[in-house]
Amino acid sequence: MKVLLQHRVDILLFILLFAGMSFALYMALIGAPTEKTMGDIQRIFYFHVPAAITGLTAFALNFVASLMYVFRKNRWWDSLALSSAEIGILFFCMLLITGPIWAKPVWFVWWTWSPRLTSSLVLCLLYAVYLLIRKSFEDPDRKAMVAAVFGIVAFADAPLVWFSIRWWRDIHPSPMLETGNLDPSMRPAFYTCMAAFLVLFLFLVRRRFYLEQMRNRIEWIYRRTETNRMKGILQ
Amino acid sequence: MNTMNYLFAAYMAIWILLALYLFSIHSREKKLRDEVERLKGILDKVE
Amino acid sequence: MLFFGIVVLVIFNFSLGSLHDTIRPAVPGILWVAFAFSGTLGLNRLFAAEKENGCLQGLLMIPADRGAIYLGKMLASFFFMLIAEAVIFIIGLVLFNLTVWAEIPYLVLVFVIGTLGFTAVGTLLSAISVNTKLREVLLPLILFPVILPILINAVEATDIILNASDYGATNLPGTSSLPEGLKLPLTIMSSFTVIFGTISYLLFERVLEE
Repeated sequence: MKVLLQHRVDILLFILLFAGMSFALYMALIGAPTEKTMGDIQRIFYFHVPAAITGLTAFALNFVASLMYVFRKNRWWDSLALSSAEIGILFFCMLLITGPIWAKPVWFVWWTWSPRLTSSLVLCLLYAVYLLIRKSFEDPDRKAMVAAVFGIVAFADAPLVWFSIRWWRDIHPSPMLETGNLDPSMRPAFYTCMAAFLVLFLFLVRRRFYLEQMRNRIEWIYRRTETNRMKGILQ
Repeated sequence: MNTMNYLFAAYMAIWILLALYLFSIHSREKKLRDEVERLKGILDKVE
Repeated sequence: MLFFGIVVLVIFNFSLGSLHDTIRPAVPGILWVAFAFSGTLGLNRLFAAEKENGCLQGLLMIPADRGAIYLGKMLASFFFMLIAEAVIFIIGLVLFNLTVWAEIPYLVLVFVIGTLGFTAVGTLLSAISVNTKLREVLLPLILFPVILPILINAVEATDIILNASDYGATNLPGTSSLPEGLKLPLTIMSSFTVIFGTISYLLFERVLEE
């Protein structure tokens, strides 16, 4: 486990994460009231919605990092962009799997092409393509710049995901978080899970970012030894 | 109850996804560390 | 480019052949798929000439605003795609037995905005893909997810116009105001076009420089 935890912050985050997730699990499964119409299946909500919000936050972070890279050309931002994109995809996969699992018993279908579901799927695909583009370039600076441009373009779909249930009639439930329609008895559980997910998000981004930094440094070493004098040493 | 099965499936899905990702990071990190060790070894030999 | 679009129309006719007369609801989708595929072909060749002759650097050395290069390429692909769309649409009219005299202005509006958005971001992405190992194979991959919001709304708008009677709209022919259902798709299409156009214009040079 020594490999996992490098700095004090990470250790603190991990403890916070473990405690937070355990508490969140308790709140979601036991502490929260049972919903009237759907029954216990509604408890997926406490992980489904935080996953969505965290995913969108991750993509927003990618947008900011991409923007900063375009202006500053500092590879630090590029590493952050890559990390947040990957983690955003992770959370969106959680979203797109728990969603249908929730939908099957309640709406009686696994999937429907409603605006919110479609735009969420498209957003996830977009960032998968972001990762694909990164693989298509060799030169690190080129790769970073092109990816940053694409990251900025890709984020255009995100507002669509968020506002889609407001602009269209959708089978997906209407907004309740911003309008304060969430039942007060459900709020503690929801806020707990939201906080736990944010801690998870921070933890994962740090880990991935650290990995990326390490990879960049090793690559830098290889590039440095590509001069004629040093060639063959690392073979 | 049938709905509890779905609930269980949903939570399992989240945990599995998380576990897979953490494992992926861990193994990538291990590979990089091994690479660093290898490079260190070569540099020691050169000196 | 044109030929490919027509081929797509014919292929769809065969794949959905069992529907025959009831194919009318599917027509907007079929049309826009044909437009999108032929548009992608056009975009593929946009920078191919420069790439083959090693002229991409030359483009950057022009003492003009880099954004002008983007505008030039975009307008070129826009016009070509629009012409292709017009021909494909006319052939589509014949193949699918449509009559669309009164709705032409609305259709033109939808086509123009949709194509504008398509080429706005397509030019940028084409410049990206021309420099990769995968070349033309990458462009459809990165273009379609980005273009989906515009495409979906374009199909929706075209659907509302062509199948207006199904929506119970009696005010479509000859009135000056847009039918209600068109406002949302058109707004979204236009906003995406504006956003994509602005972003592409500003970021274009970053993509080309080494």
